[in-house]
Amino acid sequence: MSTNDVAIRVEGACKTYKRIGRSHAHMAVDGVSLKVERGTIHGLLGPNGAGKTTTLKMLIGLVRPTAGTFEMLGEDSTSPKGRRSLGFLPEQPYFPQHLTALQALRFYGRLGGVLKDEIDGRSNEVLAKVGLRGEECTELSKFSRGMLQRLGIAQAIIGRPEIVVLDEPASGLDPVGQRDVRSLMLELRERGTTVLLSSHQLSEVEAVCDRVTILNFGKVAAEGHIDELLNVSGQTSFKVRGLPEFPRAVSELASDVAVSGSVWVFSVEDSAVRAVVDAIDDAGGTVMSVTPKRESLEDYFARLITLAGLEVAS
Amino acid sequence: MNRMVLIARAVITDSIRRRVPYVIVLFAGALAAAIPSLPNYGMGVEPAVFREVSLALMYVAVIVLALALAANRLPAEFERRTVYAVLAKQVSRWEYLVGTWAGLTVVMTAVIAAFTVVIQVVAVLFYGDPMWVLWVGALSMLLEAGVVIAVAVAISTLMGPVVVVVATLTILFIGHSRSTLLGGLGAAELSYFYPSLDSFNIMLPVAHGNGVSALAVVSMLTVFVGFTGLALLLGVVMIGRKDL
Repeated sequence: MSTNDVAIRVEGACKTYKRIGRSHAHMAVDGVSLKVERGTIHGLLGPNGAGKTTTLKMLIGLVRPTAGTFEMLGEDSTSPKGRRSLGFLPEQPYFPQHLTALQALRFYGRLGGVLKDEIDGRSNEVLAKVGLRGEECTELSKFSRGMLQRLGIAQAIIGRPEIVVLDEPASGLDPVGQRDVRSLMLELRERGTTVLLSSHQLSEVEAVCDRVTILNFGKVAAEGHIDELLNVSGQTSFKVRGLPEFPRAVSELASDVAVSGSVWVFSVEDSAVRAVVDAIDDAGGTVMSVTPKRESLEDYFARLITLAGLEVAS
Repeated sequence: MNRMVLIARAVITDSIRRRVPYVIVLFAGALAAAIPSLPNYGMGVEPAVFREVSLALMYVAVIVLALALAANRLPAEFERRTVYAVLAKQVSRWEYLVGTWAGLTVVMTAVIAAFTVVIQVVAVLFYGDPMWVLWVGALSMLLEAGVVIAVAVAISTLMGPVVVVVATLTILFIGHSRSTLLGGLGAAELSYFYPSLDSFNIMLPVAHGNGVSALAVVSMLTVFVGFTGLALLLGVVMIGRKDL
């Protein structure tokens, strides 16, 4: 990745909180480094207290780092100038209650660099995009949690930023809203916008992210392309139907066997794929799919967190 | 500058949609209208006393309203995290703080102007005199309200609303107590260094005299600029060091 390809760069981020009356300070973030390629969606994962939000806040200048460098498009993102290409959705966003949706968007849009002549048109366009058409004149005190979340997304993208940082964007949204957010992130990526996504919704991360960084105990526990992290090396996954019973020849080679209705799902060593296909064919079954075995992000995440916990305990 | 104006406008819009300013202005306005009917001097209140009582009433209302608007403004924004979306844009913390102060001060300007007009209307109805000199008193109160808001906003970068109110009132009290606290002989030299707000004490010349001199107005403006600037500077330093 060349320097020009990097949209976000965090190097050696540390944050220590001093505790009154205690001899030891609490290290919330400990040497986190992170690079996000331009035009990609990068997921930031971790259990509660892993340091995700603190890292994001340091990146955006909301929290003063103890150490580390933070850059967006090559500029120091802790200074206001370095944030000119940024749109940010905080976790569970709130807005001045006595403003209407349109007034709020005019405000955030103008702060985000939208010109005065364009602001009304752009505000209406973005409100429609996040599903708030018709709510322009509604006071925000009357907005539901989900509507505030949508407005939060709207204020993050109104200035057509090159980088969008989303902290739990699906929080408070119904399934349709969550799908809309996923579509929006993919649309942003198509336009070349870089998205840094912090989320607990692993299915959402798995569906949209190109790469992920997993934090635990304030450190980077894993980082990489989602396929690299989740594909199980040397294993192939089968989905088969039409078998009255599982063939003996296959059962000797298969692991993780599961059946749902007439569909069997199992995995085998890569070297046994040819033999298994033949055995299923001989048994009268139909192979629906043969794919590299892939762990779910939930399983990967849980395994990683458990391992890290054991390491810390020992 | 542009971003500061935007923040100030948002603060104004938000403040004027709250009930507090209207309740205080209505309540104080009703009391001002009732002053001439007080059974003082048998024949009702004299114009000078009316001016003094109405200015005192306005002063209390202005201080209460300034604290009501300023003490919880930043703590609420920090607690609700509304500040995140603002500071994540290309906005400096000093622009946010000064913009907030400016917005609240503009709201107070409107409230003080409305209040003064109400008092003038009462004055015309009961005494046939618009009492233009009241505007000098209004200016003094506006400048002092600006100082109070700056102090409250600065303290509120670190403290909650109750501490802000108590601390601001304490500073206000100390600012008006130079003669009491430094009254003894030998302390006179210290008075030059005392953080005094006495320049705003123009109620008596406005109520009972012919107003104040140009020098007094300059003195008021100097104290306003000095105190407000210092308070905002401290506020900027404190908010700059705050983890949000």
